[in-house]
Amino acid sequence: MESPFANPLAFMLGPVPITTTVLTTWALMAAMTLAAAWAARRLTIDRPGRVQVVLELLVETLDSEIAGTVPGDPARFRVLIGTLLLFVFVANWSSLVPGVEPPTAHLETDAALAAVVFAAGVGWGIRTRGVRGWLTSFARPSWVMIPLNLVEQVTRHVSLTIRLFGNVMSGVFVIGIVLSLAGLLVPIPLMALDLLTGAVQAYIFATLALVFIGSAVTGDEGATPPPPQQDAP
Amino acid sequence: MSFDWWTFGLQAANVLILLALLRHFLFRPVAGILEQRRQDTAAALAAAAAARQAARDAETRATAEADTLRTQRETLLAQARDEAETLRQDRIAAARAEAARIIADGRAAMDHETRARADQRLHQTADLALAVARRALAAQPAGLPGYATRLADLLAAMPAPQRAALLQGTGLHLVSASPPDAAERAAIHAALAPYVDAPRIETDPGLIAGLDLCSDTGIVRNALDHDIDRIARALHDDQTR
Repeated sequence: MESPFANPLAFMLGPVPITTTVLTTWALMAAMTLAAAWAARRLTIDRPGRVQVVLELLVETLDSEIAGTVPGDPARFRVLIGTLLLFVFVANWSSLVPGVEPPTAHLETDAALAAVVFAAGVGWGIRTRGVRGWLTSFARPSWVMIPLNLVEQVTRHVSLTIRLFGNVMSGVFVIGIVLSLAGLLVPIPLMALDLLTGAVQAYIFATLALVFIGSAVTGDEGATPPPPQQDAP
Repeated sequence: MSFDWWTFGLQAANVLILLALLRHFLFRPVAGILEQRRQDTAAALAAAAAARQAARDAETRATAEADTLRTQRETLLAQARDEAETLRQDRIAAARAEAARIIADGRAAMDHETRARADQRLHQTADLALAVARRALAAQPAGLPGYATRLADLLAAMPAPQRAALLQGTGLHLVSASPPDAAERAAIHAALAPYVDAPRIETDPGLIAGLDLCSDTGIVRNALDHDIDRIARALHDDQTR
């Protein structure tokens, strides 16, 4: 059995090594893009199909979750949070395909996702509050907290990375061990559990990314639950 | 444990590329559809609100028109009632006038008829009186001597017992309308000589003309008033039959 931290090389693209993780990611990106393009061509206003209903439900749920966490127009974060959710979900579930190892089971992919979240938080924080306002948010509630807040900015994204990596990698690793010991059908319950874990981890990753970005935008630590919405009269 | 920074960089780039791809192929079209449907829904709601407002306006107008029509109807009904009452009063007045005229005409006709009947009755009475007078005068003899002769004929025509009872009664006398002169008295005595001897002659202007023979036991009428009375009764009996 290979090490869970191993990252096999697929081929070399000039001086750039292309690992199987990148290759799998490209395949997943191509599949997701083709599926999205196919679904987008079938969008109608009057008679939506099942796929369109699912996509509309996804977008509306994303908007609702974003609006519940970050005040303002939810469309600002819809693409980022939606893409993270879909990619992590599809990547986690790609383990269903025989011979495919989920990209999220490798630390580089999870770190890249966390880096994107970190960059988005910094970018949205500066864009929304300005450089001075974003920097002063580290001195809250007191300047004494500046070192801790700086460390927290790193640690929470590291924890975001490790959480996703640990859950997905452990699932793959356990299934691999059981498969090598017990046979073909025994790991199936574990695979089903791994699917559930993958879906939950996708939701957790997207939600934490939203909370982190929201805290950078609003200057508050953690999520900012909005006041209860009232139905329009 | 190893960390492949090339893979890390490529994966970060892949995520950014996937962001752009899904934004273009998935999120933007779906969000566009949702926004368009939201706008269509808002437009439909606005149209429904406008239609509802139009319906309320139409209902308000209809209510106002109904109120106006109701007011006009009540006004027309009141006018019709007034006109009908006026017409009824006029008809009643006309009917009363017509009834009064008919009654007046009837009374006039009745008066006219009454007068005509009275005139007719007067004429009939006059004719009757004239006829009675004519017949009575036609039956009258000339002067007291003539009445004496007719009295003698009456006595002769009477049954003997009655004539004897009359003639033997006390207070036998003659009654004339005017006192006879000597010649008439002589003619009277001569005509009645077979039955009575120079009776006393009294005068009664009510006889008009004639000579009656009276006693305590009876009377023989031989005067004009008696003839008129008899002829009148006879004529009356003829007419009533």
